[in-house]
Amino acid sequence: MRQLKIALVLLLIGGVLTTAAFVMAFTTAEMQRFGTVTVPEPIDTAFPLQQVTEAGYTYERPWFSQKIFYFHVPVAEASFLVFAVAAFFSIRFLMKRRKEFDTKARLAMETAIVFVMLTMITGILWTRAAWGVWWEWEPRLTTYFIMTLMMIGYFVLRNSIEDEERRATYGAVFGIIAFINAPISFFITRLIPSSHPVVFQSGFATSNLIPFILGQIGMLMVGYAIYAIRASEERLEERVDVLKDALEG
Amino acid sequence: MTETVAAETLAVEVRELTRTFGARKALDKISFDLPAGSFLSIFGPNGAGKTTLVKVLTTLTPPSDGTAKVSGLDVVEDAVGLRERIGLISHNPLLYPDLSAEENLRFFADMYGIEDPADRVRELLIAVELDHRRLDLVHTFSRGMLQRLSIARSLLHAPEVLFLDEPYSGLDPHAVEIFDSLISQIRKDHTFVMISHDLAKGLELCTHALILARGKIVLSAPRSEIDEGEFAATYRATVGTGVA
Amino acid sequence: MAEKTTPAVSLRPSGASLSWRQFKAIVRKDIVMELRTKEMVTSMGIYALLTMVIYQVALSQAGTAFDPRDIAAGLLWLAFVFTSMLGLNRSLVHEKDQGCLEALLLSPVDRPVIFFAKAAGNLVFLLIVQTLTIPVFAFLFLQGREYGGDLWMIPLALLGGAIGIAGVGTLLATMSVNTKGKDFVLAVLFVPLMYPLLLAAVSATSAAVLGGDGYVQQFWSSMALVAAYDVIMLGAAFALYEFVIGA
Repeated sequence: MRQLKIALVLLLIGGVLTTAAFVMAFTTAEMQRFGTVTVPEPIDTAFPLQQVTEAGYTYERPWFSQKIFYFHVPVAEASFLVFAVAAFFSIRFLMKRRKEFDTKARLAMETAIVFVMLTMITGILWTRAAWGVWWEWEPRLTTYFIMTLMMIGYFVLRNSIEDEERRATYGAVFGIIAFINAPISFFITRLIPSSHPVVFQSGFATSNLIPFILGQIGMLMVGYAIYAIRASEERLEERVDVLKDALEG
Repeated sequence: MTETVAAETLAVEVRELTRTFGARKALDKISFDLPAGSFLSIFGPNGAGKTTLVKVLTTLTPPSDGTAKVSGLDVVEDAVGLRERIGLISHNPLLYPDLSAEENLRFFADMYGIEDPADRVRELLIAVELDHRRLDLVHTFSRGMLQRLSIARSLLHAPEVLFLDEPYSGLDPHAVEIFDSLISQIRKDHTFVMISHDLAKGLELCTHALILARGKIVLSAPRSEIDEGEFAATYRATVGTGVA
Repeated sequence: MAEKTTPAVSLRPSGASLSWRQFKAIVRKDIVMELRTKEMVTSMGIYALLTMVIYQVALSQAGTAFDPRDIAAGLLWLAFVFTSMLGLNRSLVHEKDQGCLEALLLSPVDRPVIFFAKAAGNLVFLLIVQTLTIPVFAFLFLQGREYGGDLWMIPLALLGGAIGIAGVGTLLATMSVNTKGKDFVLAVLFVPLMYPLLLAAVSATSAAVLGGDGYVQQFWSSMALVAAYDVIMLGAAFALYEFVIGA
C-alpha cells in the first residue's frame, strides 16, 4: 500500500510539473525562431509567409507550434523508456521464469502504449501545424506508428493464449523482439531514399531548457505512477485469486 | 539404502520436485523413487499435475525447484543425454501423416543419430508387424496400427525408460490387446511410467502406483501393498478435489 | 538392469555431425511432405494469383500515363508478404497436428537446429513461390515496359527479403500456431516486425526495376539495410527460439 501512496504523490507532482512546464512554455519561454524555409509551391500552413521570390515561397519556420514540443518530446522519451523497461522485465522473465517479472513487463507495456498513443497524437498535431498535413510518413512518426502496432500485437498475442506460462513466455519473446525492431524501423525509414520531400528538418532549440526539463521529469513521474498504480491493483487481484483458490480447495 | 546403490538401481529419482508459476503449484514438493525395471502408474484427476510431472521427467519443462533424475541423469543438467535414454508413447501418434511408416521411422532415426538406420527401422517394422505396410502413408493407418508404429518409433533408440501418456485412449479392444502384447514383450527390458485414467488397466500393469492431486502425492506404494478397493476409494476422493 | 534382448543400438556421438544430420532430416522431411501434398506451394501460388486480380482492380482507373513500374516492387512484396504468412502458418501446423513437435523435442536435438531447419524449409518454399509469381506479375503488368536495372539484382533482393521473412516468420509462426485465431495473430505480429525489412527490400527491388540515376548505389545501400535487418533479427529470433519452442 505504501507504493500506492508514493505513486499517488508522484502522480500529483508529475501533473503539477507537466502543467507548469506547459504554462511556462507559453509564458516565460522565449519564442523560438528557426529561420526560414523556401518551398516551390505555396503550402497550407500556420506559418507566416515572408516573401515570394523566383526560388519559391519563403515561410518563417515553426514558432508557435513548437510549444507542443514541451509536451511531445517528454512524452516520446518517456514512452521509449517505459518500452525499454518492458523489454528489460521480459528478459528477466525469460531468465528467471518468475511470474512477477511477467506482470511487470506487461504493466510497463500497458504504460508504454498510453505514452506512445500520446506521442502519436501530439505528433500528428505538430505535423499539421508544422507541415500543413495531418500525417507524414516521417521516420519518427512512422516508427511510433509501428511501435503502436507492435504493442497492440503484444496484447493480441497475450489474449489469444490460455496457458498462463506460455502467455508469459510468448509475451516476453515478442516484447523483446519488438523492442529490437523499433530502432531498426527508425533507422531504415530514415536511410531509405523516399520520394516524399522532407519539408522541414524538425529540431529543438537548446534554450528554454527549464520548462522542457520540468516536463520531462513530470512525465516520467506520471509514467511511473500509472505503472505503480496498476501494479498495486494487480497485486490485489492476485491475492483475491489465491484466496479463491484456498476456499475452493 | 546408500546413495551409490540407489544411483545404479533407480530408474527415476524425484526429490522435492516443485513446479510453480505465480501462486499456482502444478507440482508441490514431490519425492519418490522408482527401481529400474518396474512399471509405475500415475493416477489423478485432470489438472492434478500428472502431465507436468511427465513433462519435467522428459526434460520438456524445467522444474522450479527440487531435482529429478531419470536413468541416473539430471533432467536439467544432462537434458540432452537423458533424451537419448527415454521414449514416449502418447495417445497422439506423434507421427507425420504425410510420410510413410518407413519415412517416419527413418526421420526419427536421424534425429537420434542412429547408425545403420535402415536396418534398425526394418527390424522394428517387423517387430510391430507393419513391415508389409512400410511404404504406405501413415494417414491411411488405423488407430491400432498408428499405436504400433508409435511403439516402434519410441523404441528406435533403445531407450531405458518409456513414458506412456494415456496410451489406451481411442483404441478399440482388439488394438488394446495387440498393444498389451507388444508392451509385455518389451516389459522386462524397460522401466515404464504411465499416466492413466483407467484405474483397472493401470493397476493391472503396474508394479508401483501413485495418485496425484493438486500437485501433491496422495498415495505412493508398490502394487503388492495396495488393496484395490481401498485404492479405488482414495482415487475417487481425489477426483472431487478437481482442478486447481 | 536386466540383460537386453533388443540389440544395443549405437548412437552416433552428438556434436556438429549429428546436428547437421538432424538439420538435413528436418528439411528433407518438410520438402518430401510438401512434394507429396503440394499444400503450401499450391495455396501460396493461388493466393498470389488472386492478389494479381486485386491489383488489376486497384490499378484499373490509374490511366494510361501511369507507369506500373513505379510501384511494381511494392506490389510484388505485398503479394509475397501475404502469401508467406499463409505458408508460414501451414509449416508449423504440420508439426503441431499430431503432436509431432513433442516427439521432435524429445529427441536429443539442439533447439537452434529445429529453428534453422524450419526456417530453411520455409525459405525454400518462399523462393519457389517468388520464382513463380514474378514472371506472372511481369506478364500481367509490365508487358512492353523497359527493365531499368541489372537482371541479377532482382533475385538478390528477393533472397535478402525472403531470408528475413523466413527467419522472423518461423519464430512468429511457432508462437501463433499455439494461439486461438492463428492466422490473425500471425498477421498482427508479422507485419509490424517486417516493416523495416519490406521498406528496404522494396527500395532495392525498385532500384533494380526502374534503373535511372544512381540506381546501383540505391540498390546496394538498400541491400545493406536488408542484410543488417536479416543479421540482427535472425540473431534475435535464433536466441529467442528456444524459449518459444519449449513453452
